[in-house]
Amino acid sequence: MGNVQSHSDKPHSEKEISYARVTELVLNMLKPPGAGWYALFFTCMSAFLWGAVSWTIQILDGLIVSGLSHPIGWGVYITNFVFWVGIAHSGTLISAVLFLFRAKFRMPIYRLSEAMTVFAVLTAGLFPLIHVGRPWFAYWLLPYPNERALWPNFRSPLLWDVFAVSTYLTVSTTFFIVGLIPDIAVARDKAKTKFRKMLYSLTALGWTGSNSQWKHYMSAYLFFAALATPLVVSVHSVVSWDFAVALVPGWHATIFPPYFVAGAIFSGVGMVLTLIIPLRKVFHLEELITPFHFDGMVKLILLTSGIVSYAYITEFYVAWFSNNMFERFQFWFRPFGDFKLAFWGMTMCNCIIPLTLWVPSLRRNITYLFIVSLLINVGMWLERFNIIFTSLAREFIPAAWGGYNFSWVEVGITVGAFGWFGMYMCLFIKFFPAVSIVEIKELITPPVRKKS
Amino acid sequence: MRGNKAVVGVYTYMDDLLNTVAKMKDKGMDYVVYSPMARHEIESATMPEKSNVRRFTLVGGIVGCISGWSLAILCSLDWPMRTGAKDIVSLPAFFVIGYELTILFAALATFLGILHFCKLPDLFRKVGFDPRFTDDKFGLVVGADDNEVDGVKKTLLDSGADEVTVKDGM
Repeated sequence: MGNVQSHSDKPHSEKEISYARVTELVLNMLKPPGAGWYALFFTCMSAFLWGAVSWTIQILDGLIVSGLSHPIGWGVYITNFVFWVGIAHSGTLISAVLFLFRAKFRMPIYRLSEAMTVFAVLTAGLFPLIHVGRPWFAYWLLPYPNERALWPNFRSPLLWDVFAVSTYLTVSTTFFIVGLIPDIAVARDKAKTKFRKMLYSLTALGWTGSNSQWKHYMSAYLFFAALATPLVVSVHSVVSWDFAVALVPGWHATIFPPYFVAGAIFSGVGMVLTLIIPLRKVFHLEELITPFHFDGMVKLILLTSGIVSYAYITEFYVAWFSNNMFERFQFWFRPFGDFKLAFWGMTMCNCIIPLTLWVPSLRRNITYLFIVSLLINVGMWLERFNIIFTSLAREFIPAAWGGYNFSWVEVGITVGAFGWFGMYMCLFIKFFPAVSIVEIKELITPPVRKKS
Repeated sequence: MRGNKAVVGVYTYMDDLLNTVAKMKDKGMDYVVYSPMARHEIESATMPEKSNVRRFTLVGGIVGCISGWSLAILCSLDWPMRTGAKDIVSLPAFFVIGYELTILFAALATFLGILHFCKLPDLFRKVGFDPRFTDDKFGLVVGADDNEVDGVKKTLLDSGADEVTVKDGM
């Protein structure tokens, strides 16, 4: 990693690379893992184990072992839930929305982004189960006929969440699997061991790449992209309504849906960079992932950071303009109250530091980009923390004010969630093509005998 | 495909492949083209009509929309508990449920469509398929009777195929 000397406004290296070289570069990632992969996987498993033990303690002893209490009844778990759902959105934006826009910079990064989406939604889905304390009753959220003649409340955003996040998980997973099929067929035809031959033969479903198959596949892929696109906007809007339809000062704002959606894409692009930069370095994918692709990602970061910054300013302005004393106090409490470190950390990481990417020499420095991506992840976690904790800590009357006692169980579960996500990513990059072979080949000018 | 033999041509150059496809079409031969990725030139030359996957998507979306709205409305009418001073049938609130199930059912129907039209899963390898067709070569497999094999083989070779083989069974 280091300074990249040149940049381009087109993926020029794809024009020089051959089909066979693309296959070779990507399938090289599926070779038996080395010590580095095992070290990373062991670290992720250890973190996951810490989380599993912490959750077991919580199930046995109850929510008393967490910091949840009056008045902060939504704490670390909901922060994590919103964080992980947000991370997921960027993957779908890159794979579906940018597909519809025919953005060339998405090609080598969209597979890993889509994998990030699926695993992030799987991670997010754990948190409502953890947060409710009695996960064995989680089925009560579903509309099933019962002897008490009860139905869930379809007017509640918490139930909209059940439908939105479940739909998002199902559609993203289906889109992911469909996109993988042709690439798994490539891996099948190059597999060297019996196990991998069998694995890829089963999961490729017998794909051969005939003209008929490609025709129906590309049509279906377009529809998947068109269906996933409204989900990018809707799902995190629904999550934002968990807060915005409440009357809590600091939550009840119409800016929330676009604020959350932009923040989600911002955090997700940060996570994509956190994943793709080491992957590119370790597996020598410089021919496939070029400065052109990083430029595209940086543009997304600058755009979404700008929208998020605008949303922060809007919140403060509208709180002042409303002349509502509770709203005004809330927005004094955020920068100057008990949780001011979280507020200023969030502001630095989400608003100020991304501005440095306007400087060409900085945005073309891959090491700096990696550090900024880590800070974006931190900043966006702090944003969700800031929204939830500060508003609940200082609701309307002082009798309802309070603080929060963080617990090791919550820390363990938070770390465990990262371990769970990391575990899936480690397994994915070693067993399935993490870069889209087929779509990069589509960008390459096909060989023709008569150049005219 | 008709014919009891498969004449398999392996191509490096796409224009050679397309020229051969045009010749096979003129002769009224049945054929399958294999390529490592989708190319609109191949699609235009072989199957220009629209895919019917879109019908699956439409039906799935309609079923999902009706299901989502019905679920929310019928459940609310069955247990008519007023919450937040809202109507029992709160159409703006129920919009989210209808919208999400529309997309969910449309996506699942599209997946079924792709399995149906691509004939997946199909774990029996097709006659004439070569593993190079998923890597860096294009393939043309022509179904031919015994008396047509030599003519087809010559056409493929003259059109620029790197190699031509004949396999039994179609």
